[in-house]
Parts: sequence; C-alpha cells; structure tokens
Amino acid sequence: MTDLEGNFDVIILGTGLVESIAAAALSKAGVKVAHLDQNPYYGGDEASLTLDELARWADVRSESSENSGKSSSYLTAQRSKFTSISRSGVIPDHSRHYSISLSPTLIPSVGPLISSLIASGVSRYGGYRLLERVGIYSSNSGLQNVPGSKEDVFKSTLSLIEKRRLMRFLVFASGDFEVSKELQGHEQTAFPEFLASQFSLTQEMVNAIVYALAFCSSTTDATLPAMTRLRSYLRSSGRYGASPFLVGHYGGLGEIAQGFCRVSAVNGGVYILDKKAEKITAPLPASGEKFVVELDDFPEPLTADVLIAAPDQLPTGLCPPAQTASLSIIARCTVVIDKPIPFPPLLSSGEGPSEDEAESAPAAEEGDDTGGLTSNSTTQPEASVEAPPIDTSVIVFPPGSVKGGSSTRVAQAFTTGAGTLSAPQGKWKCLFRYVVYLSSPVADGEDPEQLLKPYLDTILSLTDVSEPLFKVVYTQHVSPSSALIPTSTQSSILVSPALPPHLAEISDSASSVAERLFFGVVDTLKAKNPEAWTTETPNGESSSGDRFVELKVPMWPLMEGPGEEEE
Amino acid sequence: HGVRRTRDTQQALAAKRERDKAKLSAYLVLTDDILIRACTLSLLHNLFTRTFKKNKDWSREAFGLTTQLLSTHTDVINPEFYTIWNYRRNILLQRYLSGKVCHPPHISIIRSPFILRSSPDEIHEVLDNDLAMTTKLLKVHPKVYWIWNHRRWCLEHIPEGPNSANAQAWRLSTWERELFIVEKMLEADSRNFLAWDYRRYVVASMPARRSDKAELAYTTKKIEANFSNFSAWHQRTKVISSLWASGETDKASSLQKEFALVQNAMFTLPEDQSAWLYHRWLIGSGDDKVILEREIEVVQTLLAEQPDSKWCMDSLVTYKLLLLNNHLHVGSQESINVTKQCLALLAQLEEIDPMRRQRYHDIG
Repeated sequence: MTDLEGNFDVIILGTGLVESIAAAALSKAGVKVAHLDQNPYYGGDEASLTLDELARWADVRSESSENSGKSSSYLTAQRSKFTSISRSGVIPDHSRHYSISLSPTLIPSVGPLISSLIASGVSRYGGYRLLERVGIYSSNSGLQNVPGSKEDVFKSTLSLIEKRRLMRFLVFASGDFEVSKELQGHEQTAFPEFLASQFSLTQEMVNAIVYALAFCSSTTDATLPAMTRLRSYLRSSGRYGASPFLVGHYGGLGEIAQGFCRVSAVNGGVYILDKKAEKITAPLPASGEKFVVELDDFPEPLTADVLIAAPDQLPTGLCPPAQTASLSIIARCTVVIDKPIPFPPLLSSGEGPSEDEAESAPAAEEGDDTGGLTSNSTTQPEASVEAPPIDTSVIVFPPGSVKGGSSTRVAQAFTTGAGTLSAPQGKWKCLFRYVVYLSSPVADGEDPEQLLKPYLDTILSLTDVSEPLFKVVYTQHVSPSSALIPTSTQSSILVSPALPPHLAEISDSASSVAERLFFGVVDTLKAKNPEAWTTETPNGESSSGDRFVELKVPMWPLMEGPGEEEE
Repeated sequence: HGVRRTRDTQQALAAKRERDKAKLSAYLVLTDDILIRACTLSLLHNLFTRTFKKNKDWSREAFGLTTQLLSTHTDVINPEFYTIWNYRRNILLQRYLSGKVCHPPHISIIRSPFILRSSPDEIHEVLDNDLAMTTKLLKVHPKVYWIWNHRRWCLEHIPEGPNSANAQAWRLSTWERELFIVEKMLEADSRNFLAWDYRRYVVASMPARRSDKAELAYTTKKIEANFSNFSAWHQRTKVISSLWASGETDKASSLQKEFALVQNAMFTLPEDQSAWLYHRWLIGSGDDKVILEREIEVVQTLLAEQPDSKWCMDSLVTYKLLLLNNHLHVGSQESINVTKQCLALLAQLEEIDPMRRQRYHDIG
C-alpha cells in the first residue's frame, strides 16, 4: 500500500510490555508498524537485564545531568523516575546467566495477559514456572507458610476452628460476594477491619489474607477492590497447578515483551533499537499530513499516520503534561544471594507421613512369609526428610512484623532462582544463586536503602548469608493513570500510561491497556483512511473489522499452524 | 513446569468439531465394514462352538481380528463389548495355552489349571503384548471393567520364568509394574474406584507383600492431596483394621490419630461426606463411652461454628442415639435430656433438608 520505504501506518516508541503487545496485535492485523527503542535492549522499564546491563542501567541513571552534559529527554525522564540509585561495586561471575527484571511480576493464571500470551502464540516462545510458595513473616513466629487452597488449609498447623473460619472466608471470597449481607455497607472499610469483624478471624489470619493472599500494600486498602482482586486470584488457582501465579523465565516481563516483539517482526513489524529519535514533527491536526520521525544516524526519516509512545521516549515538546495525581513511589532493593530461603515444611496434620514411611521401610526389611521376597519401596518415595529448596517464592512482611521496619506499610520479597532461568545453576549442585526483589512503598525523599535494610537483614539472617553478592537499590516513581492520554483532542499520538506497580497486577494491566491502545489506533487509522478498511486488502480484513463489545476475541486472529500439545 | 498449551475456547471448539466430523465419516465408512465384521463375528461364534468340540486349530486371523477391533477401532467399537474379550481369551487359551500338562498346579496365583504347549517365552511375550495393549486402552477408557478383567487374567497366566534359577522374576516384575500402573492411574484420577479395587487385588496377589504400614502411608498421601476422596478413606478402613487385628499398631493411640486426622477434614470442609463417613466408621457401635462423648463435643463445637451444617446435625443425632441405647439408663434424667436434644436436631434437619424429611421424622 505504500511506495516509500520509510512510510508506516504506526510508529511505536519504546518496547515496554504495553507497546510490545500493541505492536504484535497491530502487525498481526496487517498494520505496518515501525517499533523503535532508544535502549539497546527490549522491554523498556520492564526489561530483563544481565548483571552487567543492570549495573550500566544504574550508572547511567545515577549520573547527575550536569556531569553528563546535554542528555536526551529520555534520560532526563528516566532520572526523575528512578532516584536514589546505588549499587555494589563488584559484579559477580556469570553475569550473563542472570536475568534481572526491572519489573518483577506474578502472572495470574487466569487473566488478560495469559489470554494474550496464548492467543498470540507468544506463550510458545518462553517457559513459565508456578510460584512455589507464599510465606508471611512475623517477629513472633518467623517465617510461616500461607495456605491458599483447601489442601493447604488441611495440612496447616492452624487450630480446627481457625481452619473452619479460614475456609468459610475463602469460599465466600470465591463467590459472588457483591450482593452478600456481610459486604453491604463495608465496601470501603479497611480490609483488615472488615475481616476481623465480619469473619471473626485472628490477627494472624487477617494478615495472611490481606497481605499474602490479596497482596494489599497498606493497612488502609479498601475492602471491595481487595476482595475483587482476591477472588480473581482464587479463581486462578488450579489451572496449571495449586498456585494461582506463574513466573516467567528469563526475568518474566522483559522476555515476554521480547516475545511480543518477535510476533510483530514475524508479521512485518520493523525493529530499530539503540537509536534516538532526534526530531519528531507532528502534523497539524486534520491536515492529512503524517508524523515524521528523524532518527540519529539514520538515512531516511520514518513517517506514519499514528504515533504510540511510552511517555519517556517522546521528545519534551510532545510530552503530555506530567500527571502527579495518584503518584506511587516504590523503594526497591534487588540482591543476589547464594543460599535458598528456608521455608518451614508443609506438615501434615495428625500422623506424619515421615513417621509411616520410616516405619514401613524396616517392616519390609524384617522379612515375611514369602521367604524374603519383599517390596522395599513405596512406589513413589516421599521426600520426607530432604525437601528440595524452594526456588520461586514470595514473602510478605506485614506492617509491624519486623523490628525497625514500617508499622504502616507492607514489604514484599519476591525470590526467583535457577528454576526460572534468571540465575545460574551450578553443574555439580554446589552453585546456588537466587535473585531477591525487595520492595515497599516509600515516601518522597525517604532513603530507600534505610527503609529496606531491616527486611534485607531479616532475609539474610533467615538464609544465613552475611553479605549479598550483588545489590542494587533505587526508588521508582510511578504515575499510573487509567486513561490513554491523548495529547490533544484531534491528536494521533497515543501515550501509554504507566502501570500500577503491584506485584500481581502489572501484567494484566499491561494487557488491558495494550488492548485499548490497539483499538484506539484502529479507530484513528480507520478515520484517516476509511477506504482502506472496507476493501479486502490484507490491511483491512480480519480482526480489526469486527467491533464487538467483547473486544478480546477479535484482537488476535485465529492461529493456524501445527496443533499445540497439551502438556 | 510447562504451561499447559490451551487454545482459545472458540478455536478449541472449532478444532473439536473438525475432529468429530472426521470421526463421524470414518464411522460411517466403517459401518458397512462393521456389519461385515459383525457377520464375521457371528461366523466366528459358530466357528468357535463347532471347532471347540472338534478341532483345536485357531486361526491367526481371528485373533488379529479381535486385536483390530479392540485397539484400532476403539473410537468405534465399544471396549465394553465383552464378548470380544472373551473370544480373545479363548483364542489365547486355545492357541497358546493348550497342550500337555507340564507343571503341577502349586502356583497359587493361577486360578484355572491350564496346560502348556507353547514355550514359556512365547506365552510371556503374548501376555505382555496384551498387557501393553490394555494399558493403552485404559488411558482412554479408565473405567471399563472388562479391560481390568482382561489384565487380571493375563497377570494370572504369566508363567514362571525366565528360567528355573529365576523362576519368579517375570511375575515379580509384572506385578510390580502393575502396581506402578494402577498408582499412576490413581494419580490421574484419585477417585477412580475401579482402580482402587484393582489396586487392592494387586496388592493382595503380588508375590512380594507390601506392608500394611506402607499401605497406610499411601492412603495418607492420597488424603492429603485431596481429602474429598471416598476411596482413599475406604482403603484406610481396610488397612487400619488389618493393622489393629495383627497387633502391629496399638489400637488406642492409632484411634486418637485417626480422629485427629478426620476432624481436620471435617472442620476444613464440613460439606464433604467422605470424612463424615470415616468418622462414623471410627465410632463404630459406640462401645467406648468416653470416645463417644468426646466426639459428640467435637461435632457440637463444629456445629456452633457452622450452624447450617446438615452433616453435623445428622451425626449428632446418630451418636446421641448410640449414647442413649448403649450407655444411658432408660428414664434417667440424662437420657430424657439427650432424647430432647435429638428431637430438636431432627426438627432442624427436617427444615434444612426437606428432601429427607420422612427419614428424620421416622427416626424421631
């Protein structure tokens, strides 16, 4: 449809997760996409980096603007997004074998991102691991397992009454509670208060539910949104295994963004990394002219009808006004340690299997009537003594759980090891490496290292590690908003909003936002070139033509190709 | 730890429709074929009844036919068509397992005395093949009695071998493998009661005995994985009884542990029947007054927590009746109180469980 090589339908600036999902969907729909990123890697603020890359990332952003001379608008934006950066000086060996995520995430097994992964085929490009364990820490009892299913509750060490009450709540939480009498009038009550009063749950159980099952970030989170989140997690459990959450290999979202970019490329998307957009000329509204993007060191400018951009990657002139409403500030401390975090074993109630196992072995060996023919092994040997170390886990520190820690805010420690291919694994099982992502909400100006130190110390003492092998600390400023930000009423620039920095919500937010971007672009393109969409050219047919209320289905056209095997 | 690769629902439905269409057309093509085969089968039947009396020659084709029908056309031929299984076994008997008497029947596992003609190697191979074939079939049809039966028959006819020095080797390994297979099936579906029953048979018939304690551990494992499982609890009743009877386990302390285990299940999910039934079994005839009263307390605590629990009320009535009948004097104040409590509970039950009103009424 185009004569000029550099002419596209859409130019996308930034290969963050949202932009990458949109790129893949648009390319699949036949839209001509040019996808650019200033960085030499995919993923933007969700990227997966090796240790060397992470060190460089930290160094570049911690330089002050005066010293580095004239810096791009991207770096300026990044420097206000990531502040108070510090890192350890020495980079451990095998840097390449680490995939550290700038946006560590749990992916719910049922939700928009999983659906997009499957429908687009990106799920075939990568591997995923079930979250193995969720723990909660308290100063009295240390680290405890958090039960999430009826089997967990059955096996836990709670009292009988506590088990009943917990189960009753979990059943309530999985159902249609919006119309229940328990919830009426309490929708905006603080969630911990609601649980204690309506379900007679102990403080311990309230903490577990609020912070380790619903992943609330403070004591004042409202009940209804928390319950809604909790329900979606409960309904996610069982799809791929007991846990509702998957963790992506190679740092999760960075790898996934790359996968979507690959889909886009396979369907005609053009990729240009590591080049700054020196100058972007926006056309006057309703002029019929196109955007012109001039790249550093690039012979020809690129033109397009529509521009999608991550706000950081837009030149200052075109940037939307800074959104300060609902600003979230997160302190992050990412460390590498060489020992696993020991979780208490999942005990059975009543008789322990280890007891029976230990007794059955000698009983068999004592010999019996059939003259020494004994079956010495139970068909599936129980690992009753040595359970394998937990590779992928989340530990929640409720307010007031750690001496020196916050009494109003929650901290989380999300750990991934070699099982998620984000850390190296020793050939002779003597090399253990785990990446621990510590995070907590923080107030503006507060020192992230000091805030997170008590939690880091707790982890180190649990694992019996004196010093982490590597550490990066920084504060992340996020201004999420739910609306796509048009920079003017007639503009064809769509800016992807930042995502809420919530451990289990980022991934689905990203997918939902990408979907709105997709349809936003489609609408704009149709408005500009209505003829193109009514003909039967590849540009106009298939998914984008349909305008159903249920938007998910047409966004990804049906896949042909070899049938996928059920695992 | 891979992600199960699922298709979009629409795609899955479309794909399935395509597959069904293909099957349907294959079926229609085969219908004529089947009619022919059905005739062949009845011919076979005639052949069988005639030749059994006269001649011992068994056509390879007949055997091959049953194989085809049972394994190639499982989509079309119902594996519950047991006549075919019977024919197959008869052919096996006649073709491979007939001849002169070679071994005295001291092999206790073998039920029907038989006569060997083919070499043990051949017999072992042919039975092994049949076991392999039925394994494949079980994956598709895990609850068909006739397939399990055929396996039993094959297992029981595995000859001694491979040689006289290693006489039990084939049998040992076959039975071990059998246990492994049935446990795999129970992993896929832990509530397949055919598999549980088959497992009991395997464990009882194995040349190498498994200890009751190992059995107990197995049921514990299954219950922990999912305690809504009649068969696992049921198996436990058998194993525990055996352990008590043999004196291997002290009944009193084991009983305590069992009550703790089942109470766990009751409190976690009071709607789950299997736990309540196990609890009933543990109470038994209510001979032990201390235990009976203690358990009544426990159930009452649960009822206080969960006032709408039908099973709590039902069990309380049952146990209080046991108390009344076994331990309380007629006419005593205590017995009058307990009777009143029962009547109150029954009234409640009639209300919340109207389908069984008459039963509660009758008990009252």
